[in-house]
Amino acid sequence: MDAASDEPFLASAAAKIPPVLGRDHFALLTSGSTGEPKLVVGCRRRAEALARTLHDVQRSEPVEEAVVALPLSYSYAFVNQWLWARVHGRRLVETRGLADPSQLARALGGSRAAMLCLVGAQVPMLLAHVPGPHPGVIRLHFAGGRFPQESLPRLREAFPNAAVFNNYGCAEAMPRLTLRRAEEADLAADVGTPIPGVELRTGSGGALEFRSSYGAIGYVDPAGFHDIAPGAWLVTGDLGERQEHGRWVLQGRASEVFKRYGEKVALPQLLATVSAAWSGQAAFYRERDRSGEDGHVLVLAPAPGPEELRLVLRVLRARHARAQWPLRIEALGTLPLLANGKVDVGGLVAARARPPLWDQRL
Amino acid sequence: MASNVDRLRDLLTEVFLLEPNQFRLDLRREQVDTWDSLGMVALAVGLEQTFGHHLPPDEVVALGGVPDIVAALSRRGVSFDG
Repeated sequence: MDAASDEPFLASAAAKIPPVLGRDHFALLTSGSTGEPKLVVGCRRRAEALARTLHDVQRSEPVEEAVVALPLSYSYAFVNQWLWARVHGRRLVETRGLADPSQLARALGGSRAAMLCLVGAQVPMLLAHVPGPHPGVIRLHFAGGRFPQESLPRLREAFPNAAVFNNYGCAEAMPRLTLRRAEEADLAADVGTPIPGVELRTGSGGALEFRSSYGAIGYVDPAGFHDIAPGAWLVTGDLGERQEHGRWVLQGRASEVFKRYGEKVALPQLLATVSAAWSGQAAFYRERDRSGEDGHVLVLAPAPGPEELRLVLRVLRARHARAQWPLRIEALGTLPLLANGKVDVGGLVAARARPPLWDQRL
Repeated sequence: MASNVDRLRDLLTEVFLLEPNQFRLDLRREQVDTWDSLGMVALAVGLEQTFGHHLPPDEVVALGGVPDIVAALSRRGVSFDG
């Protein structure tokens, strides 16, 4: 294990890992569901077993190379690409992702029987800056956020030979829990079925819990190192429900589902509504209203025109009660993203684009 | 410069998400499905921000439509003529 000594938490957290785990183990830094930094400790044997299982369920035998467009410190890219390539003896093509679109375009242009792993938030920028088509990509994976269901037609044009998968998991699962082929469902929140070796259940308050033979063996938070007992049920940080035929549907992050004036607000569902009328980027941040009730602000990027904004408002009005409408709609040129491609919610709050495009005045 | 009718139209269109041509000076509350309790709170805030007049809660709750809003603001010196 190697810790970057210039990261105070990382350095002190790495020092708290028992020395016995110094061989054949690894650690990944995550913000976890609470936003607090956490160092999650995995076991090489379990991770390699997961890489082999993923190879089977993702039907990766024809794949000759993995084109990396996400930081390899991100557990999704680390296991699904770096470790998979190592275990199965395939090429790893590293790029700087959308930080350098022309380099990514060259890598995709020269790819052959490639696997590409992305997060949904990257799709608008990818389609704008690296539109393709990219016939050399035969597997396109999404994880780490909402699956871009509504972008599938455009993704199929950009990646005409790719089988598209929605992967779901969390850092403590190291990281994979479920999988579905894109065409198996119409709902972005449908994450498919657990992969072999993984069990899911709904716990208290709808919390989605898992038990995995590939999962982390411990973690370090500011309080110190914590063992994860074999066979222990762990929370994913999401809410989820089992559907027919063993499929699972996410109801949102535990932190993204809340009550407002007695109405349940599920930000992922609202995002799905917005995406039905808006093809650009969209994200929410939380804010209390004048009465102190929990609320949320919608941020669109780039700024929509008046008619586009009207379409968004119309679909919100048609599908949701007023309590579920955002407090405001704001616009930015582009959404701030974290290194792993997820939306930087802190950056949205800091930007607080003014004046708002629309204000509910509550 | 926008007239007070224009400002009232823009406010109600925003607060109740009216369709572009839905606003009329004889529009009734029951014709607007989004004119709910939270909508009344938003309307009260919007009237104060737009016209500078605070309407007490019981008066806002009693508003039956645009004619009542015009009447309430007219009593406070806001002109909707011309």
